[in-house]
Amino acid sequence: MNLNSVLTLVFIGVLRASVFGQEIPVQKDSVLIQDLDEVIVTATRTVRQLSSVPLPVTLISKKQLQKTGVIRLDEILNEQTGITTVADQSGFNGIQIQGISSDYVMILIDGVPLVGRSAGNFDLSRLAVGNIQQIEIVKGPSSSLYGSEALGGVVNIITEIPKEASLNGNVSYRFASFNTQDANLSIKQKFKKFGYSFYGNSLRSDGYDLRPEVEGQTVNPFENYTFNGQLFYNFSDQLKLFTSARYYMENQDVTLSVNDQLIEGLSDINDANAHIRLDSEINTKLQLQYEFYYTNYKASEELQNTVSNTLFSQNDYDQKLFRPEIRATYTVKSKNAITAGIGYSHENLDRTFFDQKVSFDSQYVYAQYDFYPWKKLNLILGARFDNHSEYQSQFSPKASLNFKLSDAISLKGSVGSGFKAPDFRQLYFDFTNAAVGYTVLGYNVAMDKVKALDSQGQLSDILFDLEDLETPLRAESSVGYNIGAGYTKAKVKLNFNLFRNDFKNLIDTRAIARKTNGQNVFSYANFDRIYTTGLELDAEYKLTDKLTLSGGYQLLYAKDKEKKVALERGEVFARDPKSLQTVALDNSDYFGLVNRSRHTANFKLFYEVPKWNFNTNLRINYRSKYGLFDGNGNGIIDTYDTTFVNGYALANLTLNKIFSDKYTLHLGANNLFDYQDAENIPGLAGIQLFTKINIQF
Amino acid sequence: MKMTSKFLTLLFIATVFNSCNDDDNEPSLVAVESKTATNIPAPQTGGQGQPVGGPFTKFSFATSAVTTSDTDWDIAFRGTTIALNGGAVTGTDDEPTRNGNAGASIASGTFVSISDAAGLTFAQDADGAFAIPTGSDNGWYNYNPQVNQISPIPGKVLVIRTHDDRYAKVEVLSYYKDAPAQPDATSESRYYTFNYVYNPNEGETSLE
Repeated sequence: MNLNSVLTLVFIGVLRASVFGQEIPVQKDSVLIQDLDEVIVTATRTVRQLSSVPLPVTLISKKQLQKTGVIRLDEILNEQTGITTVADQSGFNGIQIQGISSDYVMILIDGVPLVGRSAGNFDLSRLAVGNIQQIEIVKGPSSSLYGSEALGGVVNIITEIPKEASLNGNVSYRFASFNTQDANLSIKQKFKKFGYSFYGNSLRSDGYDLRPEVEGQTVNPFENYTFNGQLFYNFSDQLKLFTSARYYMENQDVTLSVNDQLIEGLSDINDANAHIRLDSEINTKLQLQYEFYYTNYKASEELQNTVSNTLFSQNDYDQKLFRPEIRATYTVKSKNAITAGIGYSHENLDRTFFDQKVSFDSQYVYAQYDFYPWKKLNLILGARFDNHSEYQSQFSPKASLNFKLSDAISLKGSVGSGFKAPDFRQLYFDFTNAAVGYTVLGYNVAMDKVKALDSQGQLSDILFDLEDLETPLRAESSVGYNIGAGYTKAKVKLNFNLFRNDFKNLIDTRAIARKTNGQNVFSYANFDRIYTTGLELDAEYKLTDKLTLSGGYQLLYAKDKEKKVALERGEVFARDPKSLQTVALDNSDYFGLVNRSRHTANFKLFYEVPKWNFNTNLRINYRSKYGLFDGNGNGIIDTYDTTFVNGYALANLTLNKIFSDKYTLHLGANNLFDYQDAENIPGLAGIQLFTKINIQF
Repeated sequence: MKMTSKFLTLLFIATVFNSCNDDDNEPSLVAVESKTATNIPAPQTGGQGQPVGGPFTKFSFATSAVTTSDTDWDIAFRGTTIALNGGAVTGTDDEPTRNGNAGASIASGTFVSISDAAGLTFAQDADGAFAIPTGSDNGWYNYNPQVNQISPIPGKVLVIRTHDDRYAKVEVLSYYKDAPAQPDATSESRYYTFNYVYNPNEGETSLE
């Protein structure tokens, strides 16, 4: 229903703008042509022209990052069609793509994965955007190239590389509401053979408090620092070295109230990455890449009870990943290329609630053939095989095609598979909730731990044959289908995509034993089957060389298949919250999975006034209502739930003025209309004003 | 709510009369009672990793009230645990001795659709296990750790054989004081509100 109204809105917008646009002298069409130079590397691991890629992709350029004045990755991703930032219980913002939650979206920086999901989501606000060249997002399963975790898609952050012989860069300072101060320094230089770049960022804030009546702030004061140094050395035109070291640290105060006692402490995050890559061109047809990558993510939190002056809790998390990989690209003939890779990955994690440090080892190999059987038809066939020390090996094939119907129109389709390995927590956790008394055990340790609890007399009943736990937990897996079309001509760019993702073996908790204290022992099992399906629509219209309008829309259905069956059989009930009468539900009452909005939309306007060296942009993002959790005990979000979060729109406005080519003054407001929902969306502060000065040199 | 239960009672009386007319040889039956019990307190001690304890709050369907009687009770509440006056002690601290013949069966359906107790299998409390299983999603409730909330599972109807072989059906509506439509962090827990239908005629399984 909303599709029509959104479209109408966009068209009205276009009409109005064109009336307005008539006052501006007509420009030659040539300057209005969309940028055809946009290239993307994430989709195929080779450089590809954006419009020719047979997959749903989103590209965020440096220009867009600069003009919008955003400082963190989550802010800009949330403005893209079909991408929604969703906070986990710790308030960490992850992203949902095509209705697939953040756990299944891989985050890469220059092609290598970032780790550190200590509380569930990968916290995207960890990533400063100051030295980013572009952000590439590939939607849908991409495990055929990237392996585990790439079910929902891949976000790849491409950092800037030095290009000029003179020292260049920029320095900026931004001041915003809540005493939020963000400072950036970026320098880079490229000599004949040697190049370097350095990036530093510091961000601090007093945080904010949406509910002063509750002890502690909604977001406590924090400060963090990012440093990234890169060195480039070309031994020859055929042999090029790239090295990068990145370090991030964050401190944040923690205050909470437990039984009216004030608990205080500090949370620390340290994240380091080292990345070395050697590019070797053996001949005009064969190129090799040798890559070494190491990363270490540490988080710790120590809380003191201020009344009794005792340690309240101590929580540590230390994850390391080491991954060497060799890739080869062989050009069979013009535009037809074979890409292949082989790699090894060692990962370990030491954390509170684990008996000991645990590690995973895996070996993998992948290959892809990108070719044109016919001039207008591009096919990409690829597959990857992952062998793993802790779970069954995975084979992930993918096929995609692009058919160029005309210069302006191309049709795209792809089928791919994705998987996510059971994570360390799902295999090794040993946690007992002190307040309530339930226990959660990882799959691999559950059998021994249950036996131990039983021999201590803590169990009243074991609900499963423990021998069943000898079959290893399977990886979660999905098959994704995308079919769409793209139209690019002169001032107009349109993209349309239908998607469907079928997930099976989703890992969730189930009770495996009952304790004498009346609580359960939970462990993990493969049992859920879900799907997400819908359509995405993107439109951009360059009305004049000064005014660009764009809009996007996603329709989404995300549901649990088992629940649908139960609903069909009339086994699911709800209680009317007013009459307290129980009614049987059917599928029309089923809203879908938590945190999924049926409709999301965005509208953006970018306007330039060259004679004033001024530009401005207004971005509006909307998401319709969504369920936060099941509030009526039947395990689904249904029409009788009273736990829905109302739909809302956020508007962001930025004004930029450039002085003497070097200095840019930014003024802006995020959440312009001051939308707040303190109870349901604590991560959404009210209006935030900002001003920023940037000096380019 | 009161309106509804009065109406239902009338309906039941009508049904009962009809059945009497059908078979004049049977002794006349007492009307089935449809009622709501509100805010039955179910305090417990311990928890937080400590052994759970404290006396159960005993309830009698015949008197529609909380009772301290050691024999004339049917079901009893402590925290989220529901005990029956039938079977044997489970082994938890401070529990009442069982001297009746109570049993329980968990049926699925709307409250109205569960119209007869005939053919159901009744479990009794036993060493190590309550007839109404404890724990989230096992018996009558779901626990949501995200918001730390107990919700009665809609569509779960507890069919009870009382200590003296009468039948009743129970639908728990809320675990919070005054049964708020959506409990929040300030809602006081361990207060049961439930609908029940009680057939006071010994051995009669009809629940409507």
